[in-house]
Amino acid sequence: MRIILAEDNDILRKSLSFFLESKGFVVDQFSDGKDALEAIESNHYDLILTDINMPGVSGMEITQHVRQSINSDIPIIILTSSGVEQTELDSFDIGANEFIAKPISPAVLLVRINKLLKTRA
Amino acid sequence: MNTDFPLPDNELQRLAALRRYNILDTLPDHAFDDATKLVSYICGVPIAHISFIDEARQWFKSEIGIGVSEVPREISFCQYTILESEMVEINDTFLNDKFKDDPNVTGGFKIRFYAGIPLTTPDGYNIGTLCALDHVSKELNENQRNALSIIAKHVINQLELGTKNIELDRQKKIAERAVLAKDSFLANMSHEIRTPLNAIIGFTDLLAQTKLDEVQEDYVDSVQIAGENLLLIINDILDLSKIESGNLTIEAAPFNLKKTLKHVYNLLKVKVPKDVEFNLFLDADMPENVVGDQGRLNQILVNLIGNALKFTNEGEVTVSVKNVEETEDSYALRFSVKDTGIGIPKDKLKSIFERFTQAEDSTTRRFGGTGLGLSIVKQLIELHKAEIHVKSREEVGSEFFFVFTYKKATAKEAVSKAASGNNLGKLKILLCEDNILNQKLAASVIQNFGFELDIATNGEEGIELLSKNTYDLVLMDLQMPVKDGYQTTEYIRNEMNMTIPIIAMTAHSLVGEQERCFKAGMDAYVPKPFKQAFLLKTIKTVMTKDVDAPQKRVIDFSFLEEMACGDENFKNEMIGLFIEKIPEQSEQLLEALKNNDHETVRRTAHNMKSSIDIFMLTDLALCLSIIEEEASKGEFTTEIADKINIVHCGIEEVVKVLKEL
Repeated sequence: MRIILAEDNDILRKSLSFFLESKGFVVDQFSDGKDALEAIESNHYDLILTDINMPGVSGMEITQHVRQSINSDIPIIILTSSGVEQTELDSFDIGANEFIAKPISPAVLLVRINKLLKTRA
Repeated sequence: MNTDFPLPDNELQRLAALRRYNILDTLPDHAFDDATKLVSYICGVPIAHISFIDEARQWFKSEIGIGVSEVPREISFCQYTILESEMVEINDTFLNDKFKDDPNVTGGFKIRFYAGIPLTTPDGYNIGTLCALDHVSKELNENQRNALSIIAKHVINQLELGTKNIELDRQKKIAERAVLAKDSFLANMSHEIRTPLNAIIGFTDLLAQTKLDEVQEDYVDSVQIAGENLLLIINDILDLSKIESGNLTIEAAPFNLKKTLKHVYNLLKVKVPKDVEFNLFLDADMPENVVGDQGRLNQILVNLIGNALKFTNEGEVTVSVKNVEETEDSYALRFSVKDTGIGIPKDKLKSIFERFTQAEDSTTRRFGGTGLGLSIVKQLIELHKAEIHVKSREEVGSEFFFVFTYKKATAKEAVSKAASGNNLGKLKILLCEDNILNQKLAASVIQNFGFELDIATNGEEGIELLSKNTYDLVLMDLQMPVKDGYQTTEYIRNEMNMTIPIIAMTAHSLVGEQERCFKAGMDAYVPKPFKQAFLLKTIKTVMTKDVDAPQKRVIDFSFLEEMACGDENFKNEMIGLFIEKIPEQSEQLLEALKNNDHETVRRTAHNMKSSIDIFMLTDLALCLSIIEEEASKGEFTTEIADKINIVHCGIEEVVKVLKEL
């Protein structure tokens, strides 16, 4: 299974990648939303994991683009860090499958990823 | 309503009555199970139950021999029983026209015998049934029928008890909340009154020390007496509320009993009317030092003696202390205050201890006072596990007495003479206090001691001064704008990592506050209005005390370890990355704050928070969240600057700890 991870905090991105790779996933990591979007357009991924707040292109913009322009129903998990973002997202029907609030519990993340991948399989 | 079963006329009210008890779908309960067992024993039947009938079902609160928790209302026998006002007994269902074809007679539970008594609420609604059932035909005798009615009544009583308990609980919570509200109101009110009073008394004190002519001296005297009286009244009210809320504790510290008694005597000597003789008789074998609550003994005696002097126009007022029993480790001492005053009528001997009561209604006007004194005395004595006794005859006099048991003071505990002289040198003191009058007062007092003083009008300013200059000591008011004393102390201890002694000064006097001060990291506590000597003593104590080394932050790696799946190298790599990046970001944050650059502050705080989360530094993460949120609003408050400082200091500390690993 191939996951694309967009997160601008180096330590968090590296840790998440390391964790997911340890669990058997292939992870492509990006610190910039724009690069991530280009990678999504040119490669096949099974799941998108993106921070909401990123320089360049935000997680919300990535989601909108994937759903509306690429017309893909690939599972998308958005990582949020504040209550404000969460309410914003809740009121927005932008097409993400899951919102996970930071700090992210690795175990919870794994369960959510597996659940999303299983329902598709 | 369109149903397949007969409905009582009062069905809606009946259902409402049932719901009031909140019994449906509750857990099993011994009281009900016992009642069901009794039914089964008394009637000699294999099946018995207590059930309640709602819109659609018969629900079994307790059952023997049924094995289900509910059945549809339309198949239950009891749907008919709740239409009745008395017990329904069907000796043989096979012979009963209504039931002989019932599925629970021909099959199902195979019921041949049914006896059901409605459970009737005190207001007359049949909400359920109590039943005895059998597979064979049967007839109950009179005793069994009576027993069933009695048990049914008990079941209803049990239900009533349950609702009454819930109601009681609710009322208790309301009452507790009210008491809490009253306590905090009193504490606040006393604070509001005591702050200016503190200034009045203190300045009058200082004024009295200046050169005054005779008339002025007399005026100042009057102000002093009035101020002190007012303070006494406020303290009385506060004490009473503390006693009532259980917040007042009796201390056990060694003190010099003889000195305390002499002090009380000298204090009250000035109030003795000219035709009254005031005596203090001490037993020859009365101990010099004991362990107990000096302050409270003082308060009790001042109150009782004050009363005696107030109500005695001629004759004598005698205070005596007698050693009535001595054991290996304690003394029992009888304290007595006897007067030849107006006395108390027999029928008033009890009510004088009630608050706001004096022996005659006109007394308040004739003799003044709050009417709280004796009530407080009685409760203080009871807190000492003793009793107040009173003997009195009208126009002859009164005697109040009580017996306190004090532990003996060991030789070591015997009160040591206070170190004399000011050998502290010229201390540099920082005072954090917002009230200008109190500032001036404290300033002149401290200058009298020969110390140097800087003043900050709030915690924020205090922190600023503290970071610029070197001080030996901080005097901290607790209630200040911007940053109160607790917050400021926590900041000094946790963020600035300073061990400088901090003395709390407060007009609050609720129990628990002192602990709160110590918890926040303060070293000592001086209640306001403060006495010069006490303040100096406290300063001496904290200046000579060894201050413990500050606690180091312990970092929780469990999150990082979970991410690293046990890989030590990866963990260390991430720690390295953190040490490398985070101080830089922290600097950026400070820089952006200086440049008023909201967007950079917001972005940097957001990014830092993700890193901070990995090391589970929840306090710093919370600060960063607040910084991010405030910055996104596009304005910097003093809170932001403060939080950025906290984060900066915190990160410095964390990085230091991480580097030492």
